[in-house]
Amino acid sequence: MKRKNWVRLDNASNIFLASVTDFDTKVFRLSATLEEAIDPILLQLALDKNFEAYPLYRSVLRRGVFWYYLEESDLKPQVQLDEQPPCSQLYHFDRKELLFRVVYYQNRIHLEVFHALSDGTGAMWFFEDLLSEYVFLQNDFVSAEISKESSQSERVVDSEHTDSFIHHFRHKGQRSYAVATQSAIRKLAGASKTAGKFALNYGKKAMQYEMTDKEKKKKRKKVYQIKGKRTIDNRTHVVELNMSVQPVLKLAHEQNASLTIYLTALFIEAIRKTNPIVEDGMTIAVSVPVNLRQFYDSTSARNFFSTTHLEYTYDPSEKTNLAVICKTLKEQLQQQLSSNSLETRLNKLIAYEFNPLTRVIFRPIKDGILKIINYFNNRRLTFAMSNLGSVHLPQSIDEKVHQFYFQTSAVRPQFCVISHQDYLSICLNSPFVETTLYKQFVRDLTALGVAITISANKIDGLELRGEQN
Amino acid sequence: MNYCQECQVSVNGEWLSCPLCHQPLEKVSDMPTPNPYPDIPLRFNKQQVLRILTSISIATISIALIIELLFLRSPRGLNIISFGIVSMWLVVLIIIRKRRNIAKSIVYLIISLSLLSIYWDYVEGWSAWSTTHAVPMICIFALIAMYIAVRLVKIEVGDYILYLLCAALIGLIPAIFLFFNWVTDPVPAWLSIGLSTIMLIVTFIFYRGEVLRELKKRMMV
Ligand SMILES: [Zn+2]
Repeated sequence: MKRKNWVRLDNASNIFLASVTDFDTKVFRLSATLEEAIDPILLQLALDKNFEAYPLYRSVLRRGVFWYYLEESDLKPQVQLDEQPPCSQLYHFDRKELLFRVVYYQNRIHLEVFHALSDGTGAMWFFEDLLSEYVFLQNDFVSAEISKESSQSERVVDSEHTDSFIHHFRHKGQRSYAVATQSAIRKLAGASKTAGKFALNYGKKAMQYEMTDKEKKKKRKKVYQIKGKRTIDNRTHVVELNMSVQPVLKLAHEQNASLTIYLTALFIEAIRKTNPIVEDGMTIAVSVPVNLRQFYDSTSARNFFSTTHLEYTYDPSEKTNLAVICKTLKEQLQQQLSSNSLETRLNKLIAYEFNPLTRVIFRPIKDGILKIINYFNNRRLTFAMSNLGSVHLPQSIDEKVHQFYFQTSAVRPQFCVISHQDYLSICLNSPFVETTLYKQFVRDLTALGVAITISANKIDGLELRGEQN
Repeated sequence: MNYCQECQVSVNGEWLSCPLCHQPLEKVSDMPTPNPYPDIPLRFNKQQVLRILTSISIATISIALIIELLFLRSPRGLNIISFGIVSMWLVVLIIIRKRRNIAKSIVYLIISLSLLSIYWDYVEGWSAWSTTHAVPMICIFALIAMYIAVRLVKIEVGDYILYLLCAALIGLIPAIFLFFNWVTDPVPAWLSIGLSTIMLIVTFIFYRGEVLRELKKRMMV
């Protein structure tokens, strides 16, 4: 009998589990469009092949007394037609199922991943390899068809060739389950000895941190919360914007800001314009995840990101414009990305995980505590944005894959950004029916001369029956 | 492709009005561009319906119980019916909630049904029928049921072994009843103890490694 490998789930991932709800599934979706309609058989072949190289994706989530753990499974992923709302639930309590799915529709391939398994960057590796494999199989298939016609010989897909292809692009090879599934943060911390040192260090730093936190509270910020009517069946409301990168990048540079900062500032302004009370001294707070792989040398496919908290408080006595907001956000981001504050956050995470006290608390209690933490975190946020940046594919498949899209389940209105070549995609996600904020954001962009094409999912019975007014 | 004059955006798919501002769209080209988001019918939220139905039923039963206890002071018959209903719901709820792990649901059933029968016995004026017959019988049949269930459904050893162990340990509890002489007839208790002991010995001999591995995994600190 084969013995099953397992590994404890790290704390960073535990928060996702504690905060899963019917409408906030903690699932994100990466999509790509290809030239032709997707062939499910080839996609399945590509998935089977790719699945072998990623032990992490074989995991199922189980519950222990003190921690959740990931256990290796024999389950095989099956490609599915896109028949569920985007970012539908992946993890069901007490059910053994893979924590990702591959879905296709028309000429799009989607990869949906449960956030406890991996972050956007980690999932992108899997996705890129899957696309490479698919494109390769497709080309090989086409050439096989041609040769079959000409020589009438039965040629099967050349598996040796496929291997070298994948190998050429990413030197990951067959890593052991334990290594592949270990938390990126824990890997960084190394042995528990290091963790002890981290914990000590944390003690000191935490004191300073709590202090500044208290000082902040003195100012009594009113963080604006966007309210709305939930969609009937809790599906995520998606409006996807497609545009060219260059014009937007130019606009951002005019404000001396990065794309992330610029779009965030634009969204903040859109919120103010749709809700006049914001102008009376309210704070708009946004969380922006940052990929830590750019700061620490890591090739982990697991979660390895930190979130930054940016905010802008409207002062009724002052006139604000986009430039001011951009400048404020930029300063905050730079401050939080300084090696010092990044380290503090990481230490805090690691210390929490290795803390002897938190280790012996029963998992359901830990879940409860994390739920409360999550609730208060949510109260401190107006919206969230996530930018996966620009995707660079290996040259041979780069021209076959057109555009990338990125979206997540949403507990509040938010948007996700990703670009490839000259395509920029912004996905607006929200658990609400209302489109006022979306409308404002889009109109602000088009008013600046950006040509936008939108796609949206249907969210209510009337739309689905085609009975629009 | 359709176009919204108000928002100045092109819209993919067969939208008649703008998904953003709900104004009628203008047709730009006859070539329809398909919507990359398929029309997905509204989900009937089964779980939610079930949850609501169950809570309503339970609330109704509890209210009926309270009225009966406080105002009617009714005879024994009504009591038995109420307990019957409560235990029925208990079983249904446990099975629904724990349906993905049969072994686990059996353990939950043993515990809740045993407690219920003891309470029932107590409310009726304690004739020790629960400790004499009900609890040992529940334990015996639950162990047999679990053995059959894991054979039939073929779940992996690791997934049920700890629950089997739990059930076997619970099956030893009638020894306490014997010790304190809470029984009118010792036979069912001895049967339960005997079967549980056999189960424990078998588990120890054949599945010791598996039990230790599962414990290590689940108790990981
Ligand atoms: Zn419009």
